Amino acid sequence: MVDNAENSLSGMTDDEAKEFHSLFMTGFMVFTAVAVIAHILAWMWMPWLV
Amino acid sequence: MWKIWKIFDPRRMLIALGVFLFVLALLIHFILLSTDRFNWLEEGSGGAMASVEQVDAIASVRETTT
Repeated sequence: MVDNAENSLSGMTDDEAKEFHSLFMTGFMVFTAVAVIAHILAWMWMPWLV
Repeated sequence: MWKIWKIFDPRRMLIALGVFLFVLALLIHFILLSTDRFNWLEEGSGGAMASVEQVDAIASVRETTT
C-alpha cells in the first residue's frame, strides 16, 4: 500500500488518523474529567434542579 | 471512530471545537452571572430564601425607623 490518503477527504492516512484519534480522545477525556469535577463542585456550592 | 479524521480535517475540527466550547462556556457563565441565585460575585443576595429574608429584613428596618 503506497498511500491510502488518496481516498481520504482530509488527506490523512489510516495511521495518521489513528494517531490523531488517540491524542484527541486523551484530550477529550481530560477535558471531560475537569468538567465533571467542576460540575460536582458547582453542585456542592449551589445545587440547581431543586 | 478514528475514520472521522479521514473525512474531516483535524485542524479545522480542533479550531471549530475550541471556538464552539469557548463561546458556549462564555455564554453559560454570563447567563449565570445575570441571575440572582447563581451569581458568585455577589453572593449576598444569593438564593430564593435569602432574598426573601433580605426583603423581610429591609421591611423590618423600615418599620423601626419610621
